[in-house]
Amino acid sequence: MRIAGVGCTWIVAFSALISSMQPSVLPMVRIESVVPFLTLTFGASLLAAPFLVLLGLLAFGVGLWSLYRGNASDAMFIAAFCFAMLATLLAQDVAAFFLSWEATALLSAVLVGRRCGDPRVRRATLLYLLMGQAGALCILTAFAMLATASGGASFSAIAAAAPTLPGGVRNAAFVLALIGFGSKAGLVPLHVWLPRAHPVAPANASALLSGVMLKVALYGLLLVVFNLAGPGSSLWGIALLGAGAISVLLGVLYAVVDRDMKRVFAYSSIENVGIIVMAIGVAQIARANANAPLEAAALFAAFFHTIAHGLFKGLLFLGAGTVHEIEHTTDMERLGGLAERLRWSAPSFLIGCAAVSALPPLSGFVSEWATFQTLIAAAQARTDASTTVVAIAALAVLALASGLAAACFAKAFGIAFLGGPRSVNTSDTVPFVERFDASNAALALLASACVVLGFAPKLAWDPLAVVVSHVAGTSFAFPTLARLPTVLAILPILGVIAASIANRACGVRYVPTWTCGSQVTSSNQYTATAFSKPLRTIFAFIFHPVREEKIIQGTSAWFPRQISYQTKSRYIVDEGARGLLAMLFRFARGTRIVQSGSLRLYLLYIVAAAAAATAAAR
Amino acid sequence: MSALIIVVLAPLLHGAMRKLRARLQGRPGPCVIQPYRDLVKLWRKEALLPEGARIAGYVPGLVLGVAATFAASLPMLGSPGAFFSSVDIVALVLLLAAGRFALTLAALETRSVFEGMAASREMTFAALTEPTLLIALFAEVAPGHGVRMDALGGANAFTLSGAAAFAALFLVILTETARIPIDNQETHYELTMIHEGLLLEFSGPHLAMLHLAAQIKQLCYLALGALLLPGYWWAYPLWILALGVAITFVETFSAKLRLYEIPQLLATAFLFAASSIAVRFFGNPLP
Repeated sequence: MRIAGVGCTWIVAFSALISSMQPSVLPMVRIESVVPFLTLTFGASLLAAPFLVLLGLLAFGVGLWSLYRGNASDAMFIAAFCFAMLATLLAQDVAAFFLSWEATALLSAVLVGRRCGDPRVRRATLLYLLMGQAGALCILTAFAMLATASGGASFSAIAAAAPTLPGGVRNAAFVLALIGFGSKAGLVPLHVWLPRAHPVAPANASALLSGVMLKVALYGLLLVVFNLAGPGSSLWGIALLGAGAISVLLGVLYAVVDRDMKRVFAYSSIENVGIIVMAIGVAQIARANANAPLEAAALFAAFFHTIAHGLFKGLLFLGAGTVHEIEHTTDMERLGGLAERLRWSAPSFLIGCAAVSALPPLSGFVSEWATFQTLIAAAQARTDASTTVVAIAALAVLALASGLAAACFAKAFGIAFLGGPRSVNTSDTVPFVERFDASNAALALLASACVVLGFAPKLAWDPLAVVVSHVAGTSFAFPTLARLPTVLAILPILGVIAASIANRACGVRYVPTWTCGSQVTSSNQYTATAFSKPLRTIFAFIFHPVREEKIIQGTSAWFPRQISYQTKSRYIVDEGARGLLAMLFRFARGTRIVQSGSLRLYLLYIVAAAAAATAAAR
Repeated sequence: MSALIIVVLAPLLHGAMRKLRARLQGRPGPCVIQPYRDLVKLWRKEALLPEGARIAGYVPGLVLGVAATFAASLPMLGSPGAFFSSVDIVALVLLLAAGRFALTLAALETRSVFEGMAASREMTFAALTEPTLLIALFAEVAPGHGVRMDALGGANAFTLSGAAAFAALFLVILTETARIPIDNQETHYELTMIHEGLLLEFSGPHLAMLHLAAQIKQLCYLALGALLLPGYWWAYPLWILALGVAITFVETFSAKLRLYEIPQLLATAFLFAASSIAVRFFGNPLP
């Protein structure tokens, strides 16, 4: 079962890679059916190529990990899920895209709800399905509007007719696509399902959910914005830039204060999707103003970050899966000192954490640097005042977010992997030492991809140049990028080498940590909650931290027997969504009055409807 | 070349600032070359690390390398060497974050509460200063294309936006060099300190490297601030000295802020940076 599942996943991965190599050579596949509208067309396009590469690479890594870890019964679903995403990326008409999209949504919901014994999982799955279907409805409406207005259901027909479509249709399609694809990609405020669904899914599924599925949604957004809805106004770009900036800020803020490793990664995915959407927004602004070099640069940033984020986030989620299998928890307050036990996985996990913090010379650095450059260029282009203001604000938000992301992932690695074990359970078990196996080979593979893409962005450069020049009409120019990571890394690497030589030569004595004479116990280490406490206090206007303290008094007021202390953050957007939902339910209950069950009343409705229709027809 | 000058002179500047502060406080203070003696003394001592440390032994080298890259990429007295000229403002900000990230991990590795606390504060305030640093430097190069380091400097007169950017950068410098309204370099009183707290468990050559890195970073930040001030090339070293004196005066004559008042100061710095860029893009420069 496991072998078969992994084999199927790898077949999907290789076909994704192959179809991304030579998109123009591959023939279109048409599947005719008896229903005239249901002609499904599949074929590789240049726009989908970066996403196909990501799917291929990550599906390969996830398959490798699943050979050794994860549930054997999940493996087949993982393969099917990958296949559905492949079909979505290859779809060339509305029906094929929508059917594959729905298949992706349903299969991922099955994976999210695997452990459905837990009511938390059931609620998360239900929420995910609800939001996914509401989003799909928006997408279907957008596609239907475009298809009816342009008189053809294939993407090439819509794209050809797009410039002649009325502006209202195109604007409406853009807004609907932004809502539909944005809810799937996790853009704030439509993200509420994401931090619930991603952590409860099995690790290999959440790696694919965060790594690829969010990007498939972004592919859909790109498809509509750049191809199907035709040339848009720069207002579209500003909307995208604004939505991206809000997601970046809130995503990273919620990530930095959370204590569950997988939820931290899920919130960080919201941040990174925001970064990509910001880059897409800049590209759209540049396109509307016929600034092709800037458009190309922004698209490069978006594509590169898509691939980079998919790889390192997949790596981190798989690493969290390994942690969960060893320690049976991903709560950082119970973890600690994992580097000693997971000695093969820990270095890869560290590289993933550094890459997501955009530290040079890793892949996250290259893409975030490129995003900064495009925002700066967008501000310097001075097309109009609103663009300049939004670009500068986005620049400040991105700078704040990169600092907060570094804090967040220093915490994730430092608390969970360094120091000593925190909970009693972990220190009592027999010393476990990881051996080299398929799962940490997968992590090492993904980590080396982060390093290679960071040191040699040229590798992704030439293939992406083909895609970008197809979309933007010109290629991008980052003259310094080719050697920048090397320039930045060379002295620090030399420093590390020198330090290790000096340590070897002079010797280092290991002594107990000095904590003012008291014993170094695992429970008096700094905790994840304490680490993010300053940020929770500073951003109290967003978090609204709630603090509960319980003191059980002992014999004297000075010696309480027990103090328990709890701190929580409130999630404003979630509360707003819940309020909206409650309002909808109230409205639905209110409309129940018309359903009295009396036959005479229904006859009256029919007569009234007929009268109204006649009146309207006259 | 200029990088070497910075590395060699950084401890001297640190000693001079310490001497000046001691005099302002009415003490004779240590000799100006005392930092060199301290570095040599530390270098000769034995290196101790906490039990179970895996990365802490390598972090000082990395941090020193980051500081040296900062020094090498500064356009002091002309553009930096051909190799380092590709470093721009964004890359610089992210590079400094890398050094901080490594130091934070080394601190969390020690299991000590003090270091964890210092690490948490260091990362928090670094995140809050990053946008200010970026926007202030961007305001300086705004009209041009790109954000290369050698686009900084070369201003001939004070402008409103330049002054605002400098004010923002001055507050950033106070934060990043761990000076008194924000942090205190001299004390080991664990509840108030930020940067010193990270170094508690380092000793011997490791501590020497980290001290040298901090001194290099201090001189680099002062040089970055001096780039925003107008004047001919010979005025540049004088501006650096003047900045050092100014920081020492601020440090002597102000009280340390409470920890949760620091964000307000940093927000003020960000407002300076934002107004600087607003003037640069939308206002006419003052005659």
